[in-house]
Amino acid sequence: MREGLTIALCAVGLTFTLSGAIGILRMPDVYCRIQCSSKTITMGALPALLGLVVAEGPFTAYGGRVLVVVLLLAVVNPAASHALARAAYKVGVPMWAGTVADEPHEDEPVAAGSEWSEGSEGSDAAVPPAAGNRPEEV
Amino acid sequence: MHELYIVLAISELVVGGLLLVRLAIGPTTSDRVVALNTLSTQATLSLLFFAAFAGRTSYLDVAIWLASFSYLGTFVWARLLERELL
Repeated sequence: MREGLTIALCAVGLTFTLSGAIGILRMPDVYCRIQCSSKTITMGALPALLGLVVAEGPFTAYGGRVLVVVLLLAVVNPAASHALARAAYKVGVPMWAGTVADEPHEDEPVAAGSEWSEGSEGSDAAVPPAAGNRPEEV
Repeated sequence: MHELYIVLAISELVVGGLLLVRLAIGPTTSDRVVALNTLSTQATLSLLFFAAFAGRTSYLDVAIWLASFSYLGTFVWARLLERELL
């Protein structure tokens, strides 16, 4: 019973981890990749760790510390993903051409380059999303 | 059960290898930070399962430290990309 539950939880975790990693490899832009990354952690890491807790018991030397790690991952990872997505959007990482919604910029014309647009390190320069990425006004 | 632990530890490392590809080819810095964030979680998982396999509780402390402080790196990168640090 206990072993079966452990194996099932670990299989769920491994499946979601693998699919999330493939998503990070295959998704077209950074926002979709952030979504895959947080799914890898919440649906992939947490069930696998809960399987470890089920196998070892929650009040042993392993289970207790693993529960601490589960709590840390569940609390901090959404905040980290949010901060990363916000930073990427503020810098103006271009969206995929098939994006259908860009709500903060819907009312404005194309966002002008911000004050730090001259600091073009790598390809993270402040390129406003192309007009083709916006939905058509109806 | 111990075979399951080592299989899971190695599988997480293989998934981490997939993420290393994105870390290498990521077109923007944000892509690389996403891959790095996920990669640190994979390392934490792999350490936890390896600790359960090897029966050494001292490896668990390394995993807890990694889980606590790898996110600081992500936050710092996010702030740096927003130019709020400089």
